[in-house]
Amino acid sequence: MKPGTRLKSATCDTEVMVIRCADGTIECGGAPMGEAKPAEPAPLAADFSAGTLMGKRYVDADGKYELLCVKPGKGSLSVDGVALVTKDAKPLPASD
Amino acid sequence: MSLPADDDTPGPAIPLARWADRQLEALARDFGLPRLSGATLLGERAAHGDYRIAGRISAGLGGSRLMPTRDGNWFALTLIREIDRELLPALFGDAGLDVHDSTAIAASVLRGNGAELLERGRMLGLPVALLDEIPASPPVEVIARGPRRERTAQHRPLVIDMSAIWAGPLAGHLLWQAGMDVVKVESRTRPDLIRRDDPATFDLINQGKASVLVDFASDSEKALLVDLIRRADVVIESARPRALLHLGIDAEALVREVPGLVWLSVTGHGARGEAANWVGIGNDCGVAGGLSRALADVTGEPGYVGDAIADPLTGITGAREALKALRGGEAQRIGLSMSAITAMALAEELAFDAALLEAELRGWGAGLGRRFPALERRAMQAPVRALGADTAHYLPALASC
Repeated sequence: MKPGTRLKSATCDTEVMVIRCADGTIECGGAPMGEAKPAEPAPLAADFSAGTLMGKRYVDADGKYELLCVKPGKGSLSVDGVALVTKDAKPLPASD
Repeated sequence: MSLPADDDTPGPAIPLARWADRQLEALARDFGLPRLSGATLLGERAAHGDYRIAGRISAGLGGSRLMPTRDGNWFALTLIREIDRELLPALFGDAGLDVHDSTAIAASVLRGNGAELLERGRMLGLPVALLDEIPASPPVEVIARGPRRERTAQHRPLVIDMSAIWAGPLAGHLLWQAGMDVVKVESRTRPDLIRRDDPATFDLINQGKASVLVDFASDSEKALLVDLIRRADVVIESARPRALLHLGIDAEALVREVPGLVWLSVTGHGARGEAANWVGIGNDCGVAGGLSRALADVTGEPGYVGDAIADPLTGITGAREALKALRGGEAQRIGLSMSAITAMALAEELAFDAALLEAELRGWGAGLGRRFPALERRAMQAPVRALGADTAHYLPALASC
């Protein structure tokens, strides 16, 4: 998958942009994400329901995956069942 | 593009300096500020930093570049934070891009469509702009109102300046020039970067301000800061709305609650809606405001006009709006859009004297490689307070624990 690809959650409103990725399955709310939204929403898994935050960057422990949340939702992000975590907060943007 | 570095004569006037000067003349007349010069406020950072006019590269550090796109547009991209470079593969859809190679970046821009790069760049939180862009927000927008407060002529307003770098601090500086008590609030872990990067400019625009440090990781310190804001007349900030809320500061709630509180939100492209999440800084906001388009229309060559010109234009506009609002007495949150303020200044200057502005743009275009106009350094009028020197005075509860 190319960086810059936009993925939508099958379980909630979350949308992400792929910054970096490998061959694993990117999931939200416990279900695989896709470029199109399924007609019927998938159930939100309780273990992956902490929610996503607008503008946050999410990474895995090995640095192989990085996703930017461009639309928040109720599900939380994972790759092959392993939860992603937020990257350190970006410095507050200055006016210059 | 080679820069003739041997021409050391002072360069042409900065277009829009006359616009700035007219605003400053009005501030002196209507609000009793000392008479400051527009050419000085727009050009002092570049003059004292020995900047040269660099065309499609921004003056000074050269962090912003204008690059042609496949569809005949021009894309401005500012790369001054390492963490932003990590987003470039996603911007261009190219996992193999060498994000430190400016030639490779320009080649990627040339393969792209301007409008698509703009949309994706904004979504990624990158400071980007297009040569042909119409600002998304009004230049000055009142986005919340609250109760009135009557002030006596003897009342000395208290200004809490939480902004950083140039635009917001300049607005605070002008309010200090108007006689107000200005408190610069900085994060304990991340003070204003311009202290380190350009101390001479820092000193000019922060002289006379009290200095307070706040640990934004501490709930008790944030609560003390909110208490201080409740006693204030003016707040100036330049954080994205989400970041501000994350710090426990709800601007709209405070404006609805605190009588007469004037809250300036300095933004790249607007304080409301989707545009509030876009990042914009002085040079790319000048492009987004149409100034590089105006230069290209006159000279045939797009380029950056001035030095981060949207910053000082916004600082001057912000001070004017705060002074007007204080006089009116009503609490207001005022969104300032740097790109739209540039567009407003350009339109007003065109209406004022189109031929003169055109001659100045032509002169600017012909000045490639020359120094910015020479300026005498402004004399300091007050000391620069040491970082955090006034924390105990303004956040008294912090002193006792």
